[in-house]
Parts: sequence; structure tokens; C-alpha cells
Amino acid sequence: MDNTITSQQMNPFDKLLDKLCLTPVGLLGLVLLFALPYIPPFNQEYMLRWLIYCGFIAAMSVGFDLTAGYISIVNFGYAAVSGFGGYTSALLVINMGLSPWLAMAAGGITAGFMGLIIGMISLRLRGIFAACLSWFFGLAIMGLATKMVWLTRGPLGLRTPRLFETDSNAPFYFLMVILLFLIYLACKLIVRSKMGLAFQAIGQNMDAARASGINPVYYRVFNFTVSCAIAGILGGFYAHFYGILTPDVMHTSKTVEVLAVAYIGGRGSLWGGAVIAFPFIFIMEIVRSTLSNLPGLNLVIYSLVLILVMIYYPGGFSYFYDTHIRKPKNKVLRYFLNGRK
Amino acid sequence: MLLEVKNLDAGYGYLQILRSVSLNIDKGEYVCIVGPNGAGKSTTMKTIAGLISPMGGGIIFNGEDITGLSASQITKKGISFVSEEMNLFVNMSVRENLYMGAYIIKDKKIQNERLDFVFSLFPRLAERKDQLAGTMSGGERKMLAIGRGMMSDPKLLLVDEPSFGLAPQLVANVFESLDVLKDQGVTIMLVEQNVTKTLAVTDRGYILENGKIGLQGASCDLADDPHVRKVFLGV
Amino acid sequence: MSNNIVSKFLNWMKSAAGFSITATIVIAVLASIASGPYLLVNTIVTGGMLALVATGLTLMLGVLNIAMFAHGEFFMIGSLTAYYVFTPISNYIGENPESFIAVIGPLIAMAGAAIVGAISGIVAEKLVFGPLRKRSTDNWVMNSFLLTVGLSMLLINLHQLIFGADFKGIVGYWTGMPVSIADVFISRDRAMAFVIAVIVVSLFWFFMTYTRTGMAIRAVSQDITGAQIVGIDIEKIVLLTISLACALSAVAGGSLLFMYPSYPTVGLEPLYLAWFVVILSGLGNILGAVAGAFMVALLKVITVEYIGAGWDFVVPSALIMLILIFKPSGIFGSDVRGALDK
Repeated sequence: MDNTITSQQMNPFDKLLDKLCLTPVGLLGLVLLFALPYIPPFNQEYMLRWLIYCGFIAAMSVGFDLTAGYISIVNFGYAAVSGFGGYTSALLVINMGLSPWLAMAAGGITAGFMGLIIGMISLRLRGIFAACLSWFFGLAIMGLATKMVWLTRGPLGLRTPRLFETDSNAPFYFLMVILLFLIYLACKLIVRSKMGLAFQAIGQNMDAARASGINPVYYRVFNFTVSCAIAGILGGFYAHFYGILTPDVMHTSKTVEVLAVAYIGGRGSLWGGAVIAFPFIFIMEIVRSTLSNLPGLNLVIYSLVLILVMIYYPGGFSYFYDTHIRKPKNKVLRYFLNGRK
Repeated sequence: MLLEVKNLDAGYGYLQILRSVSLNIDKGEYVCIVGPNGAGKSTTMKTIAGLISPMGGGIIFNGEDITGLSASQITKKGISFVSEEMNLFVNMSVRENLYMGAYIIKDKKIQNERLDFVFSLFPRLAERKDQLAGTMSGGERKMLAIGRGMMSDPKLLLVDEPSFGLAPQLVANVFESLDVLKDQGVTIMLVEQNVTKTLAVTDRGYILENGKIGLQGASCDLADDPHVRKVFLGV
Repeated sequence: MSNNIVSKFLNWMKSAAGFSITATIVIAVLASIASGPYLLVNTIVTGGMLALVATGLTLMLGVLNIAMFAHGEFFMIGSLTAYYVFTPISNYIGENPESFIAVIGPLIAMAGAAIVGAISGIVAEKLVFGPLRKRSTDNWVMNSFLLTVGLSMLLINLHQLIFGADFKGIVGYWTGMPVSIADVFISRDRAMAFVIAVIVVSLFWFFMTYTRTGMAIRAVSQDITGAQIVGIDIEKIVLLTISLACALSAVAGGSLLFMYPSYPTVGLEPLYLAWFVVILSGLGNILGAVAGAFMVALLKVITVEYIGAGWDFVVPSALIMLILIFKPSGIFGSDVRGALDK
């Protein structure tokens, strides 16, 4: 297949979609996300809060999947790195008077630096041990955040200024959706490039990749850096949205939450986690709030789904979509689901 | 007849390697399967040993249908398999490895008798009984693998590529030890790439090509067969 | 002859294992001279219990190739069982303090913990790991690890859902005056916890080293095909291993109930400490795990003593990271199955 010819035949709309790494159905979904705050019952503030949390987990799972799905390493300290970015951002605003926007970016950069370190030190380790190392790393940062009370106020929580001076959640929601899309786009562009191939080669067989001239050091560290930078930016968003930051955001259980969504959505797809997060987390929030006399029920369901998916359908939602939904007979429908490719 | 393999089909996943392989061994015989790389020799052995479950056909051992049994059940029936990779327990001593070989024998006294027997076969192992298997040389490991296979007092010993990766001197040693076993009355089925040597020592042979039995007969006849000479011996 | 032993000992001292064990003992002794013997007592009690959890973990990793993330939850199951078994017993003891139940009651609770732990391990294998093994063993290490993550989350939240999130603890197992050894007073519970740990670990070690079944477990962990060839029934060994590993963890939870009351996430700390031990000591090495357990316990105790409570999250994990970076196969690990990327 020669790509240049097909792209000449494409009309501008399809070209744009291709540049944005979207299919028509993806675009529809994005539009739907933007329209959601105007559609009852989602136009209520508490529902918007839930939706923002859905978006947060969705975006986290996209960044997480860049490492887990492509170079096959579970970054078990992902939430900790994210929290690190959040704390950096919050402290910069509080102590240096930086604008929250700039601080968020700074949080991303420092978290990316953390990723660089984790990537470097876990370089020689087998998958499961790299996961352990990032986990210990996360535990250590969380311990630091808890104990450096003079800086972070520890478990008491750090009050952080919010990004928008308003009581409405809508601006935050739109920002979240934009962030989610930008993160998806960045990751997708990376894995679409030559780099993505290198990632997959490394993830499948380190030695073979090395033998065919791919430098695993560079790609693994790069991957960790990008993925952690994303976590850092999201951590900054989290800090400046909720207005309070405790070391709990760094807890392993947060990573597990992200991991569950990423794997249920489908490893190595990037979009799977993002798509599944909205309905899934939303339903979990409904369960949590309506059955508040049964604390933990939502997480029981959550983990049951994870276990069942891992045993019976390890490909997750994206695999299901690709094998059963993506190839309909109808031409229009096929264009709708796949775009002009 | 000790072992009878009838129309065996086997392979890995969807990849079928063996196509309708039939062979048999009488008690006390020393039989070999030779053939080029990838012909399915090791697959045949692994299927008989129960490490691969057959896709079709049947295996009858000692008058009993053992098709599809697990490897451990087949070992209990009296077939012992010495694999190409040896599969030794590298962090255990020689003695422990040998005791594990007699896992299916529960009586400690019989275990010790078998141990003495194996040590008399391979005095070298007796010298090194406390050494870890992982720290031994290639030839010694081969001996240990064969010795471990003998520990369960098998009715049939399957030996897969004993010369693989060994220096010529050690290869000679391994063949000598197999000769000793044969003289003791053990039924042996041997898979080898070293065709000349193998046909010289065994009683009977099967030529396996592309997953099928090509030729069979007495080893000395096979060694003289023009096709065999052309394909395997290059003369 | 004696010269030979001395030179052997010196050589051993030069190895990473010898050096670190000696260093541990020296540091432990120095620290207890400096700050009082309770440090040593704490180390020994924590280390003994940690050894139980860590040997289970290393067993799971070696035999089943499962990097267990839910091992702490079996600790939790153990402590929960012990709580519900011991509460009625302690009421009975309250009414009849002189009866012999006062002596063996706690042991009943711990035995209950072990049994329930073993059963829940078997249930986990049958319902979770078994189905995955049957479906596909591609990418097994990672997939089974994720399953244990899900299992951990499930058990924690089931605990919260059914038994609530409050602390379910007891005042103590054995009443009476503390035991005094060389002017150091140790509460009876602590002394007994250590004794139980010693007995269980040595029984376990004996089982693994000398019995036919124990050797079969080790054989499976070293070469699974080899184990099949010699006639070991892998499924049986897998079930046995998982129940043993979970029972060990549950016994630890049960006998430490007086220190760690049962609550949903009580297992997290034993879990990561046990992982430290496994990384430190290398895979599939039971004696190494026991030695490593005391090292990690000492590290934790010393950190709490000299740097402050709460820092035991930070300092040990930093040290373990260093070990992972510079000696990935662990201090006692052989290079046969290391942590390095193949």
C-alpha cells in the first residue's frame, strides 16, 4: 500500500481526521464529550465532578498504556509520579507565586524527570522486577510526601489554589476533555512514528530488538519520560482542581485503579482505556454514592471485572472492538468506524 | 511387543509435525530414530513421553493404551525420558537429582538400590554426588540425565540426542554407557543426528523424514541403503 | 583441618551473603548496645514473622511463577480468622482464667488462621489462577501478576464490605508477666510470636529439604519439564504450594494479631516488606529469605529508631532499589534465575 496516493485521494476532512488520529466515530465521541455538560442529567454539578474524575482516570490510563502496552512494563509507581507532579505544581504556586498553568507544566517536567530516573535504573531488569522497582520508587516518594510535613503538610493535606476562580465545574471539565485529547494525540503520534515500532520490538523481545539495531536504552527511557510527564501534568490538574492534595493520591491503590481501566480497555490500544473509563468509572461512582451503606462495593465490582477480563478476555475492550465491531459489511458504517484508510 | 505407536499425529498448537508415524519396539531391543533436522524426531519422543498430547493415533505400552496420559502418569507406567535439554534440577546436588529420578518409587530401600546401581554404571557421578548439577560439565550432566532416567527402573528408556553439544570424546563416553545399559537388558529408544555412529551400535532403525517414517529395518541394512547413504552420509 | 574451616569461613565472609549477614549481626548488636536491647527483640519478632510471609512469597514465585501481589491479603485473612476465633475463646478465658484453654486458646486461633489461609489459597488457585493457566500461558508472569493485583483489591474491599473498615484487634493472646531474659523484659505474646515463627520456619525448611514432597516442590521450581519427566504430578504440587504459601502468610497474620489488628489494608506493609526480602535474597531461596527477613526487619527497626516513624517507607525502599540496580539477582541469589532481562 502506498500511503502518498491514498492521502492524495482523501478529502480535506478525512485528512484532518487522520492527522488528529481520529476515526469518524472517535470524533463523534469527542463531540459527545464536549456536549455532555448540556445534556441532562449530566448538567448537574456533582455529575460533572464525577465526569471530570472519569476524564482524569481516562487520561492517566492513556499515559499508563504507553508504557504497559508498548514496552510491556507496568509502571507500578504511576500514581506516585503523578502525585509528585501535583505536589511540585502546588508548591510552586504556593511558595513562588507561579501561575497554576505554568506550574502544571513544571509539574509535568519534573515528573518527566522522575520518569527518566525510573527508566534509567530499571533498564536492565526483567518486566516484573522493573514493575517492583517502580513500585518501591513510588512507595519512597509517597513516604517522603507523608513525612516532609514542613513542606507538604503531610496527611493534613495541602490547600492549593484552583485553576479557575469559579464554583462551576464546567471549565474544568472542558479543560479535562481537551487534556485527554491532547494526551491521546501525543501518545498516538509517538506510537505511529518509527518510535512506536521500536517500542513494540523492545516490548516483545529485548534481545532481538537490540540485535536489529534498536537501542533499547534510548527508547525505554524516552517512553518512561513521556509517560511520567503526562502523569505529572495530570497530577497538576488534579491538585488545582480538587484544591487539596494529600499523599493518598500517590497510593498504590490509585495506580491499581488506573491499571484496571487500562487493561479492561485493552492493552496497547491507547484509546481503549480512555473509552472505557467514562462509562465504567461513572457507574462505579453511581454505585458508590447510591449504595453508600455498602462501602467498598464499587471496588469489589471493579476488581471482579479486572479478574474476569484478565482470565477470559486479556485483550480487553479494544480487542473485542477490533475483532467483532470494526469490520461491518455496510460500507458507510465501515467508513464511520475506520475512517478513510 | 513393549511399545506400539500407531498412526501418530502430533505437533505444537496448530502446527502439525508428525503425520501418521507408526513404530514399535520389542523388549530388550536397542532401536534408533534418525533423520534430518526438523523431521520430528524429538517431537516423536516428547509425544511418547507425554509432554505433547497427540492429535491423533494411539500409543500402546505393555498392552495398555497410554494415549493422552500426562507425562507423570506415563513415567509411572515405566517409560523414562532423557530429554535433549536434560532438564536437570540445577540447584540440587547430583544425589538429590538422582533421588528425584526415583520419585515414583516410594520405598527408600529400593531407591538406594537404584542409586547404587546408577553409581556403579557411572562411577564419575558417585565421585561428585554432592556437587550441584548446574556446576557440572556438559558430559557429566548428560551422564546425570541418563542416570536420573535409570533411577525409576524403567521398562523403556527414551534418549533424545545424547551427543548434542558434546565434544567427540564425551560422545563416545555417552554411547558406551548406553551400550552398558543395553547389556543390562534395558530397552532403549535413541534419537540421534549422528547417523553413522547410531546405526553402528543399534539393532534396528527408523528413518524419519518430514514427519513420516521413510525407511525402517535392521541398522546394518539401513547403513548400506543407497538412499540413506546419499542423504545422510553424503556418499 | 581447623585451618581449612577458618579459610572456608573467611571465603564465605568475602561473599555478598557472608558479608551482609555478618554486617547485619554486627549492626544489630551495636544498635542494641547503643539504644537498648528492645531493638534486638523487635527485630527478631518482626523478622521471624516476615520470614513466614517472605518464604511463602518466594515459593509462589519459584514454583508457580506468580509474582504475588495479594500475599498481604492472606496475612489479612489470617489475622481476621484469628480475631473471630479468638474473641469467643478469650471471653471464655475471662470467665475461667485457670482453664487450660488459656494456654492453648491462642494456638487454636493461629491454627484456624493457617487452615483458613490454606483453604483460601486453594480457592484462589481453583477460581483465579487455574482458569488462566488453562486458557493461555502466554505472557504468564505479567498476566498472573495482574490477576493477583485484582485479587488483592477484591479481598481488601470484600473485607471492608463484609466486616467493616474498623480495627479488629485483641488486647493480647497470653496474659501474665512478661518473660525476662538477661534483664530484658519481653511480653509473652512477643516471645511466643517469635517461638512460633522459629518453629514454623524450621519445620518448613525441614519439609522442603528432606521430604520427598518438599524436594518435588523444589524440583518443579527449578525445571518444570524435568519434574514432569520424573513423574511429579504438577497440578498437585501447584495446589500444595499455593496452600502452603498462603497458610504461612496467614499464620503470620494470626500470630501477630496482638500487634497488627485486622483491618482491610493491614496486608500492605507485610506485603512490601516481604517483597523487599525476596528482592534482597534472590528468588526461590528459602534460607536466603529467612536471613533476608531479619535484615529487612533490622533495617525497618533501625530506621524507626534513629530517623523516625514513617520513614520506614522511605529508607528501606531506597536501599532495596540500590540492591536491584547493582545486584539484581539478590544477595543470596544464584545467577541461574536472576532479575535481569534475558
